[in-house]
Amino acid sequence: MFTTGFKFFFGLTIALTIGAVAYGYSTGGEHVGPVTLGWKGGVGDHVGYLVLIGGAFASACFAGIIVAFRDADPAAQSHYMGVEAIAPTTPVTGSFWPVIGAFGGAAMVLGLVLGSAVFVLGLVICSLVAIEWTMDAWADRATGDAEANKALRDRIMAPFEIPVAGALGVAVMALAASRIFLNATKLGAVVWAGLIAVIIFGLGILYAARPKMNKNVIAGLVLAVGVAVIAGGIVTAVDGQRDFEHHGDDHGEEHGEDHSEEGEASE
Amino acid sequence: MTMTESPPSEAAESSAAPLPAVGGLYDWLTTSDHKAIGRIWLRFGALSLLFFSVIGVLISFERLDADAIDVFGGVNSYFQMWSLYRFGIVLMVAIPLFVGLATVITPMQVGSTNIAFPRAALAAAWGYVLGSLITVISVLSGGGWGALDGVSGDEADAIRLTLLGTGMVMVSIILGTICVATTVVSLRTSGMGLTKVPLFAWSMLVAGSVWVLTLPVAIANIAILYIDLSGGAGLFVGAPNPSFDVYAQLAWILDQPAVYAAAVPVLGVAGSIIPVVAKGRQVSHEAMMILIGLAGLLAIGGWSQPFFGDERDTLVYIAFGVAALVPVLASLGGNGATLVAGEAPVGIPPAHMVGALGSMLLFLAATAAGALRVIDPLDLIGTTADTGVLNLVAVAAILGALGGWWFWAPKTDGRLFSGIQGLGAMTVLLLGGVLLGATDMIAGFVDTPDVLLASADDSLGDAMIVLSMVGSIVVLLGVLGALGAIALAYVKPGEADDDPWGGHTLEWATATPPPAGNFAEPPARVRSEAPLLDETPGDEGGES
Repeated sequence: MFTTGFKFFFGLTIALTIGAVAYGYSTGGEHVGPVTLGWKGGVGDHVGYLVLIGGAFASACFAGIIVAFRDADPAAQSHYMGVEAIAPTTPVTGSFWPVIGAFGGAAMVLGLVLGSAVFVLGLVICSLVAIEWTMDAWADRATGDAEANKALRDRIMAPFEIPVAGALGVAVMALAASRIFLNATKLGAVVWAGLIAVIIFGLGILYAARPKMNKNVIAGLVLAVGVAVIAGGIVTAVDGQRDFEHHGDDHGEEHGEDHSEEGEASE
Repeated sequence: MTMTESPPSEAAESSAAPLPAVGGLYDWLTTSDHKAIGRIWLRFGALSLLFFSVIGVLISFERLDADAIDVFGGVNSYFQMWSLYRFGIVLMVAIPLFVGLATVITPMQVGSTNIAFPRAALAAAWGYVLGSLITVISVLSGGGWGALDGVSGDEADAIRLTLLGTGMVMVSIILGTICVATTVVSLRTSGMGLTKVPLFAWSMLVAGSVWVLTLPVAIANIAILYIDLSGGAGLFVGAPNPSFDVYAQLAWILDQPAVYAAAVPVLGVAGSIIPVVAKGRQVSHEAMMILIGLAGLLAIGGWSQPFFGDERDTLVYIAFGVAALVPVLASLGGNGATLVAGEAPVGIPPAHMVGALGSMLLFLAATAAGALRVIDPLDLIGTTADTGVLNLVAVAAILGALGGWWFWAPKTDGRLFSGIQGLGAMTVLLLGGVLLGATDMIAGFVDTPDVLLASADDSLGDAMIVLSMVGSIVVLLGVLGALGAIALAYVKPGEADDDPWGGHTLEWATATPPPAGNFAEPPARVRSEAPLLDETPGDEGGES
């Protein structure tokens, strides 16, 4: 009935509890403090008492868990569950979400110092990862067929993933490209816009012509272009926008007047 | 639209075919195989080992003559590198190397097809990589764990980032450790009760439990420091101008007893390797388990954190400091008895044997130094004896992890590492560790201060600082030798059998390199702690 592991941790619990009480009384514990966790009276030296009583609680928890799982002995578990043998661990499919989650965590860490926008981005990433991870974990155990599990998962999640990923991808690319255009000269912006369009068009033609191209090659090309545009966007955003020509001082004066009027109105 | 659809026959064919194998970066980012996940920890841990060994040499060079040498460009920069080395060598090198080794080996040792929560294990591995990068980059940007001589606003931000990066590394270690510990507790194969768990797996369960109990306390310290620095309250760290007190609030994790937890797996590595070298069973497996458990218990250090006051002069601190010596010494005795009782071949010992025994000796030296350090009349706390204990523990853990890596290389990397190169590297590393620890201890006896960049007031202290620098160079040479041998094994891979050492535990029942799922067939019911030494059921007429 009681497993070896349970006996070990239960014995440890008793020993540590007795040790804590003895230590409490021997270091100045008063009344029934050492036996009531300090509720009625002092426990003596609180550090040593805390170490011992903490160890006792931890051992008690281990004892409870370990007897519930029958020392995690598959033979004992199968006996209690009335089956021949416990199934081996469920195969888990590969997934990008753990890595994306790690990057989301890193973004949250950076955001705590760099600014709330980065933190919120990390939080959003981690929230998305939590949803996706949960669905993946569910799908892995849905049926005994890995292919069917994948199809089931995709049927539920793809209607959400594709539009969201598409919108995010377009938004990021548009934002990065706009930073490049704003940094370049007028003519440069036209050239950049043409170049990016030609590259995207070229990739489309390439894929249409060679639909069975190696997945890694396609992923590499798309990644290279995406990274180049995003990196360009970051660099140019840091560098700032080009000087825009305004129509004389009127523009600034108008702004100044507007602000002062708004200020007065608000007062 | 129909142009994009596959013909029905082709679609049916593709759905029936297995998913194409995709290698390289894709696998590193998405894998759910514990062996690949463990390799992420091991390889980044190895790179970190090289980086921090170089930092260690530069620091010791700076200490030679504080006035004449200016390696880092100022007292704050020196302090940043000094503290980076200390946090890095424990949290980004020693512990991650063991987590990596355990992530690869432990599931096979307990007969499981995979680690528990493989996706969490992958997230932990990448979290460790990113957290380490954030920490190091923030320190190089002027951050660190506080400052000795005032900082600018940007540097105060970098200090907060360093703290958060350290926290991220700790969270990743906890997550990775939970996966390993859960595997040992709940995924053991048929017949493998807790008392039959291999010693390395047991030591990781013990050390992992200690890390899981200890690191959250440090994370709480970090949260308080971050809030204090961000809010500008300046309750105890001098905000908005962070001081040395930031480091002082976290230094307990690098101090005994907490720092011993980084080296507890050394006992498991040695306990797994030595019986194989001795060609016999461990003399008393259960006694060794108790000793490892006791070593772990005495390495619980969360209570010694100084937020509520300095605990280093209490009876408990002294008792923990002295008692930690006992299980390590007894464990060394147990392994010695196993060697004597076995049939170890006479001659040049294998590299993993030197790593295992050397790491135990260094861990013993660390606990002995720690026992001396807590003796109040010797007045060693606050001297270079602090660094001496830390260095002995760190080099013990690194040597143990490298010894284990050499031993389990057929399973971790699918190839053998060079025995001769490994033997040389580990011997050099052992000598370097002894030199580093001994000189810092002796310098501590003549009151050489630990933190501040100041010369010793004693010629003996000065001589020890010079020898300490030699020790750190020797350690770097050992690290270069070991990592060079590992790199060379990829250039010229050595043929490895499934079980080149005559191993006793289930990981040696797998192929080399182990396939996905580890075992072609589920392992037979385990009847002892060394299942491969047991007679097969057929030998005794079937299993009862």
